[in-house]
Amino acid sequence: MPLSQRNLALLLIAPGLALVAALFLYPLSFSLVSAFTGPDGGFSLGSFRKAWELYSGDVVFTVVIVLSSCLLTGLMAVVIAGTLTLGENRYIVGTLKALYRWPLFIPFIVAAQCMRTFLAKNGLMNNTFVSLGLMEPLQAVSFLDWRGIIATFVWKQTPFVALLLAGALASLDRATLEAGRNLGASRLRVLVELALPQVMPQLLVALVLSFVTMLSVLSVPMMVSGSQPTMLTVDMAFRINAYGDYSTANALGVITYLLSAGAAIIYLKRGMSQESTR
Amino acid sequence: MQPVTQARTGSGSAIAVRGLQVAYGGTRVLHGVDLDFAPGSFTALLGSSGCGKTTLLRSLSGFVPVESGSIVVGGSNVAGLPPEKRGMAMVFQSYALWPHMTVLQNIGYGLKLRGRSKAEIAAKVGEMLRFLGLAGYEDRKVTALSGGQRQRVALGRALAIDPGILLLDEPLSNLDAKIRMVMRHEIRSIQQRLGLTAVHVTHDREEAMTMADRLVIMQAGRVAQVGTPEEVYDHPASAFVANFMGAENVLPLVVTQGEGQASVAAGEARAILTGAPASALPAGETLAYFRDDVARLGAPDAPAAGGDLVVPGTIAARAYPGGVYRYKVEAAGRQITVDDADRHELGTKVGLRIPLQRLHIFPASEAGISA
Repeated sequence: MPLSQRNLALLLIAPGLALVAALFLYPLSFSLVSAFTGPDGGFSLGSFRKAWELYSGDVVFTVVIVLSSCLLTGLMAVVIAGTLTLGENRYIVGTLKALYRWPLFIPFIVAAQCMRTFLAKNGLMNNTFVSLGLMEPLQAVSFLDWRGIIATFVWKQTPFVALLLAGALASLDRATLEAGRNLGASRLRVLVELALPQVMPQLLVALVLSFVTMLSVLSVPMMVSGSQPTMLTVDMAFRINAYGDYSTANALGVITYLLSAGAAIIYLKRGMSQESTR
Repeated sequence: MQPVTQARTGSGSAIAVRGLQVAYGGTRVLHGVDLDFAPGSFTALLGSSGCGKTTLLRSLSGFVPVESGSIVVGGSNVAGLPPEKRGMAMVFQSYALWPHMTVLQNIGYGLKLRGRSKAEIAAKVGEMLRFLGLAGYEDRKVTALSGGQRQRVALGRALAIDPGILLLDEPLSNLDAKIRMVMRHEIRSIQQRLGLTAVHVTHDREEAMTMADRLVIMQAGRVAQVGTPEEVYDHPASAFVANFMGAENVLPLVVTQGEGQASVAAGEARAILTGAPASALPAGETLAYFRDDVARLGAPDAPAAGGDLVVPGTIAARAYPGGVYRYKVEAAGRQITVDDADRHELGTKVGLRIPLQRLHIFPASEAGISA
């Protein structure tokens, strides 16, 4: 390519590049540097030591919450996408198809607010159980803790994973599923043994993307569960808002990066192995 | 291919289809089909696209819900049963092998569903692979196989469960011409050795004729004719069947019945037919259907003799597909395709010599296809 054309190309991508640099690379580098800087301005791991002393429990809590949410999201998505693909009752399939995507269009903060009114001690769920005579009012317990966070994440992320999974299942050669039934497999066996293994890459990618999304949500843990332990996003917000302690918050940020990086590596590896088999 | 290790002659089941009606979203596709499939027979369902042949096969296998009618196998009606309860094995056009499984897992899946032990499955799959000429392929990924090998694995998967009925949904249409020829004979000989009842859907006439011992010609959701390949080819029951079986030339004729003879006229050309063939002809306006190799080219003024009709015409086009020349001849207001060994120039006046005995003649009012 002649030099002038090359310069022109650089000029064309310059605004986008500048935007990425200013809004993403600069803050990222700044927070990374800040995480490794001591009070005296030199290199230090002090912020990490402090972050780990104060919040190691929350790191584990975050990982457990996000992993369990991913697992449950995956299960729910398989049930929904499997029903959409292999269901024979057209009323059930039609209703499910019309309803399952709605949570995609509801922001996390609204979902969290809905869950507060639904899962509270005197919330909609317990009140319904009491009015149905399934439970005494005294037995009512609040679910606004780790269970509430998981419920919200699963409710919010299931449609996204189910959408990708249903698309992948729909693009399978239907004859491969019919061949299974023809040989005597029930629909459940066809789903588990023949359909899912063929769409595992897509399911894994959807779950990795959900993992990273859940890791970065602040509103849900803050609104649904005010108590300890909580998720890293809440701790970061607390360090900054209550103490102006940016270095500990940044150290927690770096830990979060590392967790997402683990997921990103799985995502990229999967992408590369797909490219190489093509 | 290896000889079959366990010949199980006569293991096929009979199928009786009665009044089968199938509709897709309010549009009826099968209009009351009645058919019997004898044990051990090889039946080809033949017809053009959209005639309902695949729908009939899929309703036998249970993938298409039946609106009304019955499918009786072994004395019981299976029309309401789900596909997994019918005991029919199907081979699909796309092979439908499971890409995440090896050859062993693919062929052994039906046995695994039947609760066989791993050793039993391995032994049976090994036997099946030897039978199909794929010995030692157990641990290959199916994605690493060629089209012909994949189709053999698909066939092995269907045969491994010892089905009484084998359903073949255009299994050869994705293969190249040479392998298709080989697979035709392989499938036919396997079916005969195992004595299976086979139902084969195809739109390839030659494939149906060479593989099946009985053809079912379907037209717009109905059975147009059932018979041996010879019966259907030589004595088509309708204009549609004649046309579908390759008699694509159409010539309007006027038939006049007389005392023990019939006079046949195409425009100015006339011929007399006598005896039993004459009395079988429909009288009045008719349409004659015949194949490209029936008519001969001769002199335009040659005498019409021996029950041959000589229609004058002009050569409009010529092609050489190999062996013989193929001509388009303008005659009696039609374009007639004729194969002839001699080379003629375009525009030459010729006499189209057509033996009446070899025409398939139907009343013009009944010929349901455009003439």
